[in-house]
Amino acid sequence: MRRPPIRHLVLVLATALCLVPLRLSAQSTGAPAGVDALLDGSALNDVWLHINARDWQDLHTYYRDGTYYPVDFEWQGIKLRNSGIRVRGNTNRNDHKPSFRIDFNRYIDGQDLFGLKAIVLNNAWHDASMLHDDLSMLTFRKMGIPAPRQAHVRLYVGAAREYAGVYVISEEVSKTFLTANFGEDNGYLYEYHRQDGDSYGFEEQPDLGWYVPRFGPKTHETESIANLYMPVRSLVEAVNEARQGNLEDRLGEYFDVGTFITELAVQNFLAQTDGLVGGVGMNNFYLYRFAGKKFSMLIPWDQDNSFSRIDMPPSEHMGTNVLTSKIWDEPKYRNLYLARLLDIADLVSSGWLEQEAARQYEQIRAAVYEDPLTPYSREEYDQANAFVQQFARERGDVVRQYVAGLAGPQISNRTSNKIQKR
Amino acid sequence: MRARTDKWIMVRLVAFVAVLSASLFAGAAPASAQVKLTFDKHPTIDFGKAFTASIRVKSQNDWRDFPSEPGSDQKSVFDPYRERIAVEGKILGRVLYHVEREFHATSSPWKNIYLDTRVIHGLHLQGGQFNMPFGLDQTTSLMNLDFNYHSLAGSFLAPGRGLGVMAYGDFFKKSVLAYEAGVFRQDGDNTRSAQLLDVRVAPTFAGRIVVKPFSKWQPLHFARSMETGFAFTDGVLPAGLYSLKGQTIPGDAFVQKLYVNGRRRRLGAQLQWRPGPIGVQAEAMRVRDTRIGQGIEDEDLPHVVERAWYVSGTWLVTGEHKKDTITPTRPFLNGGYGAVEIGARLERLSTGNGSNLNPALYGPRSPYVLSTADLVWTTGVNWYLNKFLELSLNVIREDRMLPRTATLLSGPVWSRTFRIEFGL
Repeated sequence: MRRPPIRHLVLVLATALCLVPLRLSAQSTGAPAGVDALLDGSALNDVWLHINARDWQDLHTYYRDGTYYPVDFEWQGIKLRNSGIRVRGNTNRNDHKPSFRIDFNRYIDGQDLFGLKAIVLNNAWHDASMLHDDLSMLTFRKMGIPAPRQAHVRLYVGAAREYAGVYVISEEVSKTFLTANFGEDNGYLYEYHRQDGDSYGFEEQPDLGWYVPRFGPKTHETESIANLYMPVRSLVEAVNEARQGNLEDRLGEYFDVGTFITELAVQNFLAQTDGLVGGVGMNNFYLYRFAGKKFSMLIPWDQDNSFSRIDMPPSEHMGTNVLTSKIWDEPKYRNLYLARLLDIADLVSSGWLEQEAARQYEQIRAAVYEDPLTPYSREEYDQANAFVQQFARERGDVVRQYVAGLAGPQISNRTSNKIQKR
Repeated sequence: MRARTDKWIMVRLVAFVAVLSASLFAGAAPASAQVKLTFDKHPTIDFGKAFTASIRVKSQNDWRDFPSEPGSDQKSVFDPYRERIAVEGKILGRVLYHVEREFHATSSPWKNIYLDTRVIHGLHLQGGQFNMPFGLDQTTSLMNLDFNYHSLAGSFLAPGRGLGVMAYGDFFKKSVLAYEAGVFRQDGDNTRSAQLLDVRVAPTFAGRIVVKPFSKWQPLHFARSMETGFAFTDGVLPAGLYSLKGQTIPGDAFVQKLYVNGRRRRLGAQLQWRPGPIGVQAEAMRVRDTRIGQGIEDEDLPHVVERAWYVSGTWLVTGEHKKDTITPTRPFLNGGYGAVEIGARLERLSTGNGSNLNPALYGPRSPYVLSTADLVWTTGVNWYLNKFLELSLNVIREDRMLPRTATLLSGPVWSRTFRIEFGL
């Protein structure tokens, strides 16, 4: 009997040793556990809505109603039965490709998807690139501002599993979100609803009834109007009464001025035209007041209107809001705001945002091309994405140059160094 | 838009009854017709035999003590339960008319509006809006109920009032065998209002046969008032979230709303016996809704079945004979203290597949239907001061069998209601 040559044994052994770590690596890089796999954007997931054909039709026919219909939500073999689905949205509400809210608790108390009691499927109706919202939320989070996680999904519907296009799936700002981000959920959460004709910017409103339609309670919904809205009114009063030279004096117990400035800087860096300051006043945010405190925080929502113009001055509309006016008019706070803009410019100039935009574009392009309900052509989609990537590439320098023209010497030095380096 | 259409149907119906009455009266009344005003139990005006009109007023005001429950709105203590005015009478001595309106806030203020005439012996025809012939308790006038509220069976499973035509009559003398059979535009107003608003026509047939087997038997005189009956309805059930309701005594829904489609069929049996001052009444009914194509993936689902029954007994302590309308022999402040009646009713309304499965399996398009039930004991005292005024006190105990995820109180729940009723 011929013995195998030693070198063959060594080769087999070496191959086996090489394969072992490969196999371990495959195990460790397997699908992320829980809802992260749906919301971290690392893959384009498929979501299947099992829904009665008539209900699907009614959701489109009566898209202006908020009527819920039963639906089974399926993702990666996980099926949440008897959930509720309704059309959602304001300006993006339509009967062609509606946005949806799926409430896992609608008919079944206590049902959730790895802790999420509801999710939103956004149609990105006003965003041909389909990236604005997601990239904005990523930027907020990178700047330390809690913001909802989002990702793209392919949506399939009905018993025949018909393809209904690409949607942006988003976690809701809800008790689950509060617990994950603040470690508590028993404070007061409000969703701001801008009213037609409003151009609100923290002006004093003594009548509590004014707040009722604008600050929709998402927790403690059944409490009295006084309980719900007197603290909101106090916050607005504090904003108005705060001295420009020392906002913290009066506002400190209501707001972290620095955090507010960071949120403002992110939105204005990303040229958001429908956020905390915009042409129509404040919009697209939640207000959370921590349990047992006056202290509140603004949480961003629906940033579809960001990435509007590369050359948009980050001071646009700052004078239309009581608080942002005080920030802009006081050198101490203006410099802080400009410094935050530079921080974001640094972050973006690292190439992160452009790479992320390109990655997401590649990830969803084929699915968007096949989207039977998108209102945009392939060319419009490609052009919009090219613009987002250009924005990510060039916006940093535009903002730096703008800051250089305004800031004091300390910030100006930082700006000129960066611009020279690039 | 749909509500407006319904309103116009009612307005046209009222106008039709009024115009027909006026034209018949104008054509038939001689110039010398004698006008007579009377006030016996109701204010009445007679134009000889050509036309009569009497006005009826029905008023029921409640004071309620309901438990405070999670998942339920706080109920006000005072409830103006019914405030109705009706005009009824005869035209040419042959055609009976009735128009009735509710003034308490309600989505459908027009109640019974119909014409009724005898065609031949044993055959009457009735047309308009009136109670469909199903459910003894439901078809009993609200002023003649033994308890403050209709039974759960009468309130939620019986169809209630509908727009249609009906033939009715007796086959033999002394009502040994009475029949009612009608066809209606859609199911009755006890059905979900959304269904009535959304669907214009969903033809429904209803019929009832009532037998008084001992009414001619002299030897069994104590059993002569005994009657028993069987009823059915069968109608088109439009597709939608239209399964039947079920509410607790304070008025909170405890039966899950389900998608249905196809046909709704009811079967009911009734018994009534009134030997002297005693009254015994019982009913059982079953409603079956089909669910064709109502599954989450358009598949057919098993039928939804709701069941209800009740047994009640009353005793007129002061000795009057039990009738629909109780008139005290010795009215209060008129030589006596009125009539006093005590009563009790046991009833149950239930639905569901029986066993309790994983809560995630239940939904409006699920093949599984949550098992829920309400077993209710009502005990009451009625004090008829005179033929116009009645005071009633009811103490009600519910034993609710609700899913563990329900927000309403489960188990025994107590309610009390006190009513002042005025009828003219």
